[in-house]
Amino acid sequence: MSQATEESASEPSAETIREIGHDEYDPVGTFALIGLYFLILVFLWFFMYFVEFLGNDPTVVSGTAVVVALV
Amino acid sequence: MNVHTYEKIWLVAAMVLIVAFIATITYGSVGLGIAMVGDQQPTIEPTELGDDERFGEPRVEQVGENEYEAYVVAQTFSYQPDPIEVPEDSQVTFYVTARDVIHSFSIAGTNVNTMAIPGEIAEMTVEFDEAGEYGIVCNEYCGPDHHNMEGKLHVVSADEFDLTDLSADGPDEVAVGDSVDVDVVVENRQLEDLETTVTLEIGDETVSEEVTVPGGDAVETTLSVDSSALGEGDHDWTVTVDDHDSSGSVTVLEELDDDADGGEDDE
Amino acid sequence: MSNVYIDQFPAEAKVIRAAFYSSFLALALGGVFGIIQTLHRTDFLRFMDSVDYYTVLTAHGVFLVISFTIFFLVGIFTWAVTTSLDRGLEDIRFTWGWYSLMAIGITMTGVAILAGFTDAIDMSASVLFTFYAPLQAHPLFYLGLVLFVVGTWVAGVDWFRSWWAWKAENPDERIPLPTFMVLTTMLMWYIATLGVAAAILLFLLPWSLGLIETVNPLLTRTLFWFFGHPVVYFWLMPAYMMWYVMLPKFSGGKLFSDPLARVVFVLFLILSVPTGIHHQYLDPGIAEGFKFIAMTNTMFLLLPSLLTAFTVVASMEHGARQRGGEGYFGWLKALPWRDPVFTGMALAGLMFAAAGFSGMINAGMNINYLVHNTFWVVGHFHLTVGTAVALTFMAVTYWFLPQVTGKALWSRSVALGQVVVWFVGMTFMSNAMHRAGLLGVPRRTAEPQYEGFEFQAAVGSIGELDAQIALGGVLLTISLGMFFANVVGTALNGRSDDLPANEYAGALSGPDDAPLVLDNLKLWTAIAVVLVIFAYTFPLLSIIDRGGLFGPEVIPFPLTVESATTLGFALETAASTSFESAGEIATSALTAVMR
Repeated sequence: MSQATEESASEPSAETIREIGHDEYDPVGTFALIGLYFLILVFLWFFMYFVEFLGNDPTVVSGTAVVVALV
Repeated sequence: MNVHTYEKIWLVAAMVLIVAFIATITYGSVGLGIAMVGDQQPTIEPTELGDDERFGEPRVEQVGENEYEAYVVAQTFSYQPDPIEVPEDSQVTFYVTARDVIHSFSIAGTNVNTMAIPGEIAEMTVEFDEAGEYGIVCNEYCGPDHHNMEGKLHVVSADEFDLTDLSADGPDEVAVGDSVDVDVVVENRQLEDLETTVTLEIGDETVSEEVTVPGGDAVETTLSVDSSALGEGDHDWTVTVDDHDSSGSVTVLEELDDDADGGEDDE
Repeated sequence: MSNVYIDQFPAEAKVIRAAFYSSFLALALGGVFGIIQTLHRTDFLRFMDSVDYYTVLTAHGVFLVISFTIFFLVGIFTWAVTTSLDRGLEDIRFTWGWYSLMAIGITMTGVAILAGFTDAIDMSASVLFTFYAPLQAHPLFYLGLVLFVVGTWVAGVDWFRSWWAWKAENPDERIPLPTFMVLTTMLMWYIATLGVAAAILLFLLPWSLGLIETVNPLLTRTLFWFFGHPVVYFWLMPAYMMWYVMLPKFSGGKLFSDPLARVVFVLFLILSVPTGIHHQYLDPGIAEGFKFIAMTNTMFLLLPSLLTAFTVVASMEHGARQRGGEGYFGWLKALPWRDPVFTGMALAGLMFAAAGFSGMINAGMNINYLVHNTFWVVGHFHLTVGTAVALTFMAVTYWFLPQVTGKALWSRSVALGQVVVWFVGMTFMSNAMHRAGLLGVPRRTAEPQYEGFEFQAAVGSIGELDAQIALGGVLLTISLGMFFANVVGTALNGRSDDLPANEYAGALSGPDDAPLVLDNLKLWTAIAVVLVIFAYTFPLLSIIDRGGLFGPEVIPFPLTVESATTLGFALETAASTSFESAGEIATSALTAVMR
């Protein structure tokens, strides 16, 4: 078995200063980073859609919808 | 299965994100009426475009008060017509097909962009509010000269815009004393009647005629100048209607060598 | 006996070495063509005619996204199966068989492409990676691709044989995660390649041989994208595998969740294929409804990638905290940034986060009017396959190469410099490509500007964007040079006794936490097939019904230089020839069946 099990995780252990098990680990840093990523995604999405895309007139519209709008 | 609370929250957030993306696109489609190029149009034989009513003569046509249709053919390595001219404040429906390989029809710096696939016709309706000039690029690789495939779209002000076609035809030779008759056809592809003046200039002579060309129709007329006033020799002539002109030349001879050449010179 | 891969599996190590070296050869060729076209297109250095640009571009595309990526991944998949099942392949001659098929195939394709540079041979294939009909390549091009893909199919059979044999001996054990990832990826690949196999075998190859006269350009294009989107996951999933099973180890920690890793790969198996129509949002002849369905599938395909982002970062954080990292962001400093394997993969992952965003835009249906076929798209896939995949592959090479050669890495500092230079170079290049795309600059063109009009930049200028792209290209080329120096240097090293053991990362939440149903590959395959049938039956039938199985009359456009001038003549003559093809009969039969 070559999967590094808890006993045989010898390679990284040189720099491991503590063992953190499953139940004692809360990935708060990941949560913070990914939250940041989420905010960036939301901002960029709206920027791209409403500024870059809709601001790039003219745009293809459906002919019929426009006729209705004119009436 | 043992999923950490933070990852559960992230899972929910990711789903919200996905749904929000789909909702935005749907809002664009339904709320703003942004339509996709689709399967609205029937297929067409790419080798028989020449006989097609719409693509045989690629052009812009008026179909409603401010509505126009543009029939565009993309081919290696150009667009027909080129330039495409439409008026401002208009709604233009482009019908684009390809004669040979897959191209695109993309108006640079705008959201007007479609593939042009042989056998298929792309339909796109676009509103042009302001006058301006745009470049058209082919953004699908279509062969060794792909980078030279470009066209132009001119959105012109309403006064400058027309869909008038002028053709004029005159005799090659006339005998002194006979009249030089230039047959003029003025075609008006706009819907409104066109009231305009047809002018023939030949040498120092100028003849004009007021014509009214009904919308979607053509008017034929003949403008005549007495060749005696011109004198013997070669004379260039030009027929002008608004911004359009058509020209030719006529030789006034002492006597015609060949009667058959003269054609019908009587009214 | 050490715990290095070459000592555990010497025969397999040899195959993997061959696959790696094939992959690196393709990378070198692709890289050379990359810098040539970058400098040509940005107008900094030109020594060829713009006509040849497209031959260069075809070679750049095919060598990098077909041969470089796929040769590398069959190498690491072989490693993954043998290592995680702890057994050698069933029959090494069989293994050499599929490797040979792939090598012969890609050589044929490569010859067909490169022959385009010389008029001495009447052969060319400057049809780009997408080979859209009626652009026509030499038959050798298609035939080579078929052999190559068949080679990968047989490779999959090889790995499945290993798993079946292992399962017979270990009936109650969970599939080890790396093998699970290989198997799900290959199942996805089998489904995906049906599209390109159909396009080539039924239409393009017979057409290039003159056996059939015409093809339906929209049909072959749709079949291409049936394969053309999932192929990106075929590149990406091995990179994901590296992030899941190797990166945690290099970070000094463990995989955060084995079950979620399985969920992610199952989602890829299910959702990768029924999405290809999102490459055809602007195609006439496909109804808007089908495009909307493809978009929905594509958007949900974001889920496995977003989940991966969390799991992988959490695994890195676990490593960082075990190494003493603290705080919300402070732990990032505790990561082993001096290790080129770790740093390369982490930077690749960071780039993929950015690529994820431009991919979300590409997935959006109507926003494609803005970005479709612009330089934006090129920027996007230089972040995905060009960095997330390529940089990950190069970074793990620094770990794998010693494993399969038994020789120590030539230089860790050069390796570290290499991954950083790649990251910087790609930042310049892809950023400028994205921005240029938003201005409407098209992809796949030899010239920076047109005659009749100019692209208008709101911020900066086209000249500045071109300069960034050229600078990026130069940095990437330098990075490649450093990479090959290391590969050659390592190959020339003597055997080392001081190599790390062949291990992959353990998991905090192990396979025992994963529901058994996740390992039911038959179920997931069935669901994947059903989804593909749902997503593709009606579009394909509609395309065939509209345009015919063999399409309208089209003129083959063989891509030799002369053909541009002869085309006009061909058009005239072809228009007058009568046409009665099997296509019409087949179409009417199909239409009858549909009714």
